[in-house]
Amino acid sequence: MVGSKRSSKSKLAIRYAIAGVLLLVMVYPYLYMVLNSFADWAQVDRKLIPNSYTLKSYSWLFTGGETGITRPWLGAFLNSVIVSLLSTFLMMMFGVMVAYALSKLKWRGRDTVNNFILFHMFFPAIILLIPSFLIIQKLGWYDTYWALIIPKGVSLWAIFMYTNFFKAVPTVFIEAAKLDGATDFKILYKIMMPMSKSITSVVFLFLLMERWTELLWDMIMVRSDGMLTLNVLLSQMFGPYGTYPGPLYAGSVLLSLPIIILFIIFGKNFQKGMQVSLK
Amino acid sequence: MKENNNRLGWLFASPYLIYSIVFFLIPLVWSFYLSITNWDLIAPDYDIVGFGNFAKALKSPGVHAAFWVTYKFMMIFVPLVVVMSLIVSILVHSLPRFKSLFLIGFFLPYLSSGVVSSLIVKGFLSYNSPINTALRKIGINIDWLGTSWSALLIVGLIMAWKFTGYYALILTSGLESIDHEVYEAAAIDGVTGRQRFWKITLPLLYPALYTTLILAFGVTFGIFTEVYQLTGGGPKFATNTWQMEIYSQAFKNLQAGYASAIALLASVATFISIFIIRKLLEKWGARNGWV
Repeated sequence: MVGSKRSSKSKLAIRYAIAGVLLLVMVYPYLYMVLNSFADWAQVDRKLIPNSYTLKSYSWLFTGGETGITRPWLGAFLNSVIVSLLSTFLMMMFGVMVAYALSKLKWRGRDTVNNFILFHMFFPAIILLIPSFLIIQKLGWYDTYWALIIPKGVSLWAIFMYTNFFKAVPTVFIEAAKLDGATDFKILYKIMMPMSKSITSVVFLFLLMERWTELLWDMIMVRSDGMLTLNVLLSQMFGPYGTYPGPLYAGSVLLSLPIIILFIIFGKNFQKGMQVSLK
Repeated sequence: MKENNNRLGWLFASPYLIYSIVFFLIPLVWSFYLSITNWDLIAPDYDIVGFGNFAKALKSPGVHAAFWVTYKFMMIFVPLVVVMSLIVSILVHSLPRFKSLFLIGFFLPYLSSGVVSSLIVKGFLSYNSPINTALRKIGINIDWLGTSWSALLIVGLIMAWKFTGYYALILTSGLESIDHEVYEAAAIDGVTGRQRFWKITLPLLYPALYTTLILAFGVTFGIFTEVYQLTGGGPKFATNTWQMEIYSQAFKNLQAGYASAIALLASVATFISIFIIRKLLEKWGARNGWV
């Protein structure tokens, strides 16, 4: 075992201390954000740890304070929730379906589709940005939820992860279920999905996080205030509202909190899933 | 039975197939077509200008900057993030308890939005921030985001901060797969400290390290949010990444045709660079006998 020597106890203490300090340095920016969101406005960005606190930043977010301009925070928050959850749901559902076809079904064209997905994956996405914008316009989806959800409803990475994972699931389970008369849809949701719980929490968290914090796509696809996602709204506040750092920090807290809460909920499975998916 | 599976396979794959036609193949062809037009993103009419856009792009300072900024950023970001994540993973791996708690803590920055991290950094670096106030007292006065070298450095630091915990997770699972007996055998042979790292840990960690490096190099070609929020590509194009340049040309200057040409150039540059980097990494590993 580790630490069989006598001097190792003090060595271990030093290691914990270094790891603790390093962790604090890494997490401090988050603390800085939270502290500043509650800080008295005279102290925002003036002190490493403010000593006078107020809720003014949060109330300003919703009332607009002396500017009187109310920002659609709640709406943007709801938009983010709707868009992220639906997109993530689609990405996972389609990811699982396609992965099942690629890993457990024998069909003509499978290798072609598989190779095509690999080709697609290695393609720099930036080249597609402008024509995708045009397609959204032609479909009449510009400035609607469709533009934010449907094009973000398929994730190559999710397909790739699930395909690799499903390949490791013994075919015996599937054959046994087939003998009992189960359909492929049933096998998918009654056998494959429960077996991939740990990897599912990894995929879910990464997809949701990425969708939740997407800026470029959301910025281009919608125009009206009521359609903005929280991330875009916060980004817009940078400009004309840049003189109100307190509310900006409060908005940042609103944006960060849901993901952190989910991460804590899924934390245990996540760790396990990461190990599985990295093998 | 077999016929049945054929239909089922296509059915299950159909969401992806439809998606790839609408949001990959059509845009792909369209972007080639757009790149030879002078379309302005709004007007219904536009002319075909041939390879004029490409000629213009190859001479434009914004495109030159985007090309070089990518590699300059790479020189800052990749060593920083890989060394940091190596340190974190080796340190955390040696802790007998609370390992996953630490790792999850280090992973936290990865969950933050680029908008949020940019905001925090902007606050940190504002004129009256505690850091700048303290620095001014000892005679150092730097406009962090307004100076070319520091602006790029700051963006590199944010990205390294964000990705360290994620890559540390990958490296830790690599470390965990190394058999403990290897170390014990080496200890009997008198292999110590530094040698132990270079002769045992690094070679056996190489697969995980390779994954980390490829991911880190990949990140450098897709930077947008942090740059858009903090510098808008400035000062003097010092942080003008490919994505920033394409976005500005298409959606700010409304030169969609021209921006499509730049996007094509960016894709070619990215493709070739990643191909070369992969080959070099594989050679490096093979020469040391790690693969």
